[in-house]
Amino acid sequence: MSYIKIDKNKCKSCYLCMDVCPKKIIQKSNELGKTGEYIVEFKDEKNECLGCAQCAIVCPEIAITEVHKNE
Amino acid sequence: MQVFSVPKSIKQNSNFTFCSGCDHGVAIKLVAQTIDELNLQDETIAIASSGCSVLLYDFLDVDCLEAPHGRACAVATGVKRAHKAMGNNKFVFTYQGDGDFASIGLAESMHSALRGENITAICINNTNYGMTGGQLGPTTALGQITTTSPKGRNIEYHGFPIKTAEQIALCDGVSYSARVALYDIKNIINAKNSIKKAFEYQKKGLGFSFVEILSSCPTNWKLSPKKSHEKIKNELTNIYPLGVFKDINND
Amino acid sequence: MNKELLKGNIAIAKAALNCGCNCYFGYPITPQTEIGEYLSKQMPANKLAYVCAESEIAAINMALGAASTGAKVMTSSSSCAVSLMQEAISYASSDELPIVIVNVMRAGPGQGYIFPSQGDYNQATIGGGNGDYKTIVLSPSSVQECIDLTYRAFYLAQKYRTPVILLADGLLGQMAEAAELTENPYPEIDNSNWRLDGAKNRPSREIHSLEPDQNKLNRHIVKLYQKYSAIEQNECDYEEYKTQDAEVIITAFGTMARYAKALCNHYRNKGVKIGLFRPKTLYPFPYKRLNELSQKAKIVIDIEMNMGQMLKDVRLAVLSNAQVAFIGKPVGDWLREEEMINAANNILKERYASI
Repeated sequence: MSYIKIDKNKCKSCYLCMDVCPKKIIQKSNELGKTGEYIVEFKDEKNECLGCAQCAIVCPEIAITEVHKNE
Repeated sequence: MQVFSVPKSIKQNSNFTFCSGCDHGVAIKLVAQTIDELNLQDETIAIASSGCSVLLYDFLDVDCLEAPHGRACAVATGVKRAHKAMGNNKFVFTYQGDGDFASIGLAESMHSALRGENITAICINNTNYGMTGGQLGPTTALGQITTTSPKGRNIEYHGFPIKTAEQIALCDGVSYSARVALYDIKNIINAKNSIKKAFEYQKKGLGFSFVEILSSCPTNWKLSPKKSHEKIKNELTNIYPLGVFKDINND
Repeated sequence: MNKELLKGNIAIAKAALNCGCNCYFGYPITPQTEIGEYLSKQMPANKLAYVCAESEIAAINMALGAASTGAKVMTSSSSCAVSLMQEAISYASSDELPIVIVNVMRAGPGQGYIFPSQGDYNQATIGGGNGDYKTIVLSPSSVQECIDLTYRAFYLAQKYRTPVILLADGLLGQMAEAAELTENPYPEIDNSNWRLDGAKNRPSREIHSLEPDQNKLNRHIVKLYQKYSAIEQNECDYEEYKTQDAEVIITAFGTMARYAKALCNHYRNKGVKIGLFRPKTLYPFPYKRLNELSQKAKIVIDIEMNMGQMLKDVRLAVLSNAQVAFIGKPVGDWLREEEMINAANNILKERYASI
């Protein structure tokens, strides 16, 4: 099972990761971040994450700190 | 298998101080990844400059020296030459904005390139003075509205912008000069390759290497991060074409 | 003794090399150009760092970068071009980087001309850059002192991690006299705990003047001033000539002190108890000693090749202990002995009928 880890304290709610995720499993959460906007969360209920790391590549805050890819 | 982790050369618990969606963070991440890949962390002296790039030493876990506004390439020259005089071959790069590199510091930048100083300069081009709130800079595009060109840059009042990577490529001492962008995955990977090549050329002692990175400034452009990337893709790359303008190994 | 006929500029360059200067960055300007010319032959031959910089701004910033590595760094220039360096001198002071800056003064303001002058006393001692900082300023009066004080400039720069200005003038830079290239008498200072040489087996280091936290910035500046206090305590240096019984004290620095000495001899022959007080450190200025001397004096005459810049420091030292008078001429055909005597006669004739 592939997955990512998001450091909630680093997210600045730019949503570039949501846009780039091919499976649209990064979504806005109900939690407000330091910019006053809702931060993102990783919600992969159907185990769709590909471990492609595109989200980590575009994240300007290195808030996506880990990407694990299932072999 | 872990396919992404925070680069070793990024300071633990450091938080970028950039605005939401700013490409500076991506650029610094690429620089850190390249330092890791080339195993340069313990031989690097990074030169920070003035502007949004100023707090580089808060993020990068390498020795770091701040330069006065515009003087990063002169400071880097001193660092590199002094170490050489003492028998050391250290890795030295500058991280500057377009105002720093191509306006107030153009003389220092250009002459370092002309001399062929064996250093690397990374220039973040976001077409305005970001830290002071988005004023007209040397790279502001014709027609672009800034706080000091409220009706847009026009030739009569403000003159023409500079195409930095092309200008630097004309200097004989340059080993590599490229312009890259960060608006999508493909371009980010391409940018990383350019930074890596620039760093490797310095390691090989080939002379001045330069990467201009077209970057977003969502706050001052008054666009969302996504729309900022679209602006770079659809507008800015027409004015500032991406590409390699000099590569000593291909020329 | 192994004296040779040396020009002031060459003496500075030779002394710099002799005490291990391994980085020089400069841009030509009269009357100091021989320093860079001399070093351009010696340094590349020994694989030392030498750059003909594109401007004085670039030169001082190269010096700033080189200083961060723990190298022994010098730049040299003159007056209007030292003005261009002020920004980086302010940075280097805050960064605590050791740089030796040689200013072979010419006339100002602006371009002025290549005549000798002492018009940069204020710029050097007060600081032409922004913010709360001070630079050590050494003032040679002879070619021998060009050597001695170059050694001292490198030593103090390393010891206190701060820029040091060697403030000569065009007269001294261009004149040749017998001097001995002695050995550097000062010990090496260990810089391994702060220099930037790559974070190998140690945490990374950062050197910067920017500090967005006002408490930290306050603490940093207070720390700098503790250092300046130590410099003021330890490093005041001066020469006294016939001050033992002096009722009249002449104050002068650099080349003007040589003329002032002749003036002392002139009046001693006429029975006037007169002596010379010459600060060798302009910052720190030897207020305490001059104050002591002035308590026994009636008149203090300050002589400068400017319109009275050290004068304010002389007044601060003398306070109301004695009358303070000034003889000066800014530039060019500097004060000749007879000019000085005429001016001094006017000051002294009321008290000393014998002159």
